[in-house]
Amino acid sequence: MAMMIPYGQRVTPDPRTTRSRGLMRPRPVGRIVRIAVAALLALWFALPVVPLLIWSVANRWSFPATLPTEWGLDGLSQALAQGAVPAFGRSILLGLAVAAIATPLGALAARALTFGRVPAPRLVSAILLAPLALPAFVAVMGLTIVLLRARVPATLAVLLLLVAAALPYTVYTMRVAYAAHDIAFEEEARTLGASRAHVLARVHLPLVAPGLARAAFLAFLVGWSDYVVTVLVGGGSLVTLPLLVGSFAAGVGNDAVVAVLSVSAIVPPLLLLLALGRFGRRYAGGRLTGPTPSRSPKGSP
Amino acid sequence: MSASLALDALTKTFDGADHAAVDAVSFSVAPGECLAILGPSGSGKSTVLRSIAGLDVPSSGRILVDGADVAGLAPERRGMAMVFQRPLLFPHLSVLDNVAFAATVAGQPRREARADATQFLELVQLAGFGSRPVTALSGGQEQRVALARALAARPRVLLLDEPFSALDPELRSDMHALLAAIRAQVAPTVVMVTHDRDEAAIVADRVALLKRGRLLQHDAVERLYTRPVSLDVSRLMGGRIELAGVVRDGAHVSAIGRVAAPEGETWAEGSGVLVVRQEAIQVAAAGASAPEGFVAVDVVVADRRARGPRAELALAISGAGSVVEAATDQATDALADASPAAELVAEVPASRPLAIGERATALIPRSACTVVAG
Amino acid sequence: MLPTPGPGAAIARARPRASVARDRWVALASVAPALLIAGLVVVGGIGMSAAQSVGLVPLVGEAAFTLDAYVANGDELLTGLALSLGIATASTALSCVIGLAAAIIITQGRVTGRVVAALSALTIPIPHLVGAASVGLLIADSGLIPRVLGIAPTAWPDLVGGPWWVAVVLEYTWKESAFVALVVAGVLATRVARYDETAALLGASRARRLRHVVIPLATPAVIVSAIIIFVYTLGSYEVAWLLGRPYPEPLPVLAFRLFTSITLTSRPEAAAVAVATTLVSLLAVAIGMALLRRTPLWK
Repeated sequence: MAMMIPYGQRVTPDPRTTRSRGLMRPRPVGRIVRIAVAALLALWFALPVVPLLIWSVANRWSFPATLPTEWGLDGLSQALAQGAVPAFGRSILLGLAVAAIATPLGALAARALTFGRVPAPRLVSAILLAPLALPAFVAVMGLTIVLLRARVPATLAVLLLLVAAALPYTVYTMRVAYAAHDIAFEEEARTLGASRAHVLARVHLPLVAPGLARAAFLAFLVGWSDYVVTVLVGGGSLVTLPLLVGSFAAGVGNDAVVAVLSVSAIVPPLLLLLALGRFGRRYAGGRLTGPTPSRSPKGSP
Repeated sequence: MSASLALDALTKTFDGADHAAVDAVSFSVAPGECLAILGPSGSGKSTVLRSIAGLDVPSSGRILVDGADVAGLAPERRGMAMVFQRPLLFPHLSVLDNVAFAATVAGQPRREARADATQFLELVQLAGFGSRPVTALSGGQEQRVALARALAARPRVLLLDEPFSALDPELRSDMHALLAAIRAQVAPTVVMVTHDRDEAAIVADRVALLKRGRLLQHDAVERLYTRPVSLDVSRLMGGRIELAGVVRDGAHVSAIGRVAAPEGETWAEGSGVLVVRQEAIQVAAAGASAPEGFVAVDVVVADRRARGPRAELALAISGAGSVVEAATDQATDALADASPAAELVAEVPASRPLAIGERATALIPRSACTVVAG
Repeated sequence: MLPTPGPGAAIARARPRASVARDRWVALASVAPALLIAGLVVVGGIGMSAAQSVGLVPLVGEAAFTLDAYVANGDELLTGLALSLGIATASTALSCVIGLAAAIIITQGRVTGRVVAALSALTIPIPHLVGAASVGLLIADSGLIPRVLGIAPTAWPDLVGGPWWVAVVLEYTWKESAFVALVVAGVLATRVARYDETAALLGASRARRLRHVVIPLATPAVIVSAIIIFVYTLGSYEVAWLLGRPYPEPLPVLAFRLFTSITLTSRPEAAAVAVATTLVSLLAVAIGMALLRRTPLWK
């Protein structure tokens, strides 16, 4: 459900301009309130991760102690012994596979919906967004029996369901990207003698690359975070990282293992997110924007 | 409701920029006056306007409204209203509620705010449009509503940031007429930024001409054309004729000969460039004598370019020889230094059959001439 | 490279009539793969769930229409429905309020805005299951907070597995408020700055601008986020399973238990719960869309 998030786009005003802008000038009372609210929000977003980080390096942390009574990497070694590495690999592969399928399909559909003559475009959009409104377990419970009878391998069935779950994100993200994409650039390239393949490789893809990166990231997240589809359809044959987290978290006394597994489930998407942010920002600098009514830069240089 | 406005050495340097976007600009605007800030892109004119509004914080200098410094005042407390190039009508409000916005946020009851807004919609000739959503308006109508919304805030100074430059020419002249009508009715103090000197000439009483953040000239519109204070001003205002020469004994000597300063004016002695508007130059038959107050120059039509109903002529000066005799030796030296192919430019009706190579006499009114530093 | 581009390339926009039909086919072929997958999963998922719930697709034996599956767990279905609605409503409302506040702080800029923006952006890619595990480690009776506050497990309220499902709602709110924050901040960043200036110049103070400009402009994005959050929390399994109590069960947990149960009749019963959840989801989407249509910004 993260599809509308402006990843890689700046949501805070440029720091160079805020100081010299009249509306951004600090005013004493507002400032205190703002800082207090911001501090509470920062705590709200950051606090839940703290016990994970501590537990992941604690061997023993008996009750009322506020810090672990024995530091260590028992959790890590236990996680490794329980097959964390292959599970991690399977999760990465699953995420990548979902992204690799859902991104181009979403981009194709989004481009056709934005520029092409798709019949009944509203219905088509509605169907493409519908997986978002459908609880995943409903799709699983309905289709498992069909997929089983058609002898579709469990892994493939998981992939199919997750691609469907990822499509709303990729379609929506790419529609936003194509809405901002001026097709005149491609027409210009054609008039300059570029072939279709050249236009695709040299003009079209570079211009929508930030959108593609965002879409792929979101699709990866769908595969990476899934629990319910993998459990129900995979039936235990496909053990991914969330499955390991789930099985340990359901038990008692596994806090250190759960913490280690959880941290390892957070790190890859965070790294991708940071990479995406850098990519988006680097790209934004030289990005060609569509036609705008404003000719001259206003106010700030 | 109209106030006077004065800028005192307003300077604005953006973080990380090596030179000031606005450099010690000073001018004043009388209550009810309309000032146009004119300049090419990047001249800092919008920054001046945003600083007046309080949207940009100046690095130094003062902004005085009715004599009081507004430095510490937040934008919403300055009593300014601004119309941007984009109309920026609030998309979640109807046309009427947009115009009533200032009254609403000032805490007026909705009914009164709307009644008040209705008057301003009438003022911009959009009576009856109040209940429409803003998406149902054309570009010109949107800008009229933006203007009504700004006026309804009863601004002490109305700020216009290229408000008409996104409109097509016909709509733009409608808006100029509307602005004139509004000025006649409610006489707001107006500061308008524009890059279009014709617009400045039509709308404004006075013009502040900016280039690279510096104020070049602040003057009545016609004086910017006829009495530019520098070569830069002359060029920015579209002046095409520049004759290098020397001022000696109160008269300028150049390729066209000796031109005495108009009555009541004196030119600084020493080298200087005589500038005169191409529109002021008349082209007569060859050998015509100069009427009182004119200087006659023998010319040959060097080039002719069609300009729709008019034709633009480049006139090579052929009678220079006789003039130089009259000049002093020093002036001759100065002439030799100056561009040798001194040319005049004139506009004539397209119907006049002056062909390239034809001889003619250019008549230059002395009152249209001015001398600026080279 | 061509020495001179032919005129044919330049008239790409002026399309002859014959190629209109071709464009249609190209467009259709472009949407087809995505449409087939999404359509199969949505239509197939709902259709087959419905068919199973009324006994038309039995695992063994004859297909026969019956509503037994809906009646068999009637009470559990109703309590589960009430519980799921409660959790989803509380999580959605809290997420929207906190997320909107965060979005406003974020668009104010400066250090505070950037810190909140970064932390909420980092929260989003964390899987819900991991979020559930960490919320458990934070507020269970042996969690970090009772440790720091020095409160004994007996004196600590049952937040995890307790009667009010506090931990479940907190986990959803934590993750989804970050989602609301960034979605709304994205909308505000792109459109609000200039409107904010215009409003200020018309004399609106900060509080008035918030009320008359910023919040109305953010409303559609908040409603869309709310629809998505509500539907997600209504149909999500793992958080309620991990942080909730064994009974009563929210709809997804009930469905999951029935689906994985070994008795033959439980499959249709699970499907019946799935159908009920879907209906509620669709109803929620319909209500949300109706609200969205009533905002003045809806075009």
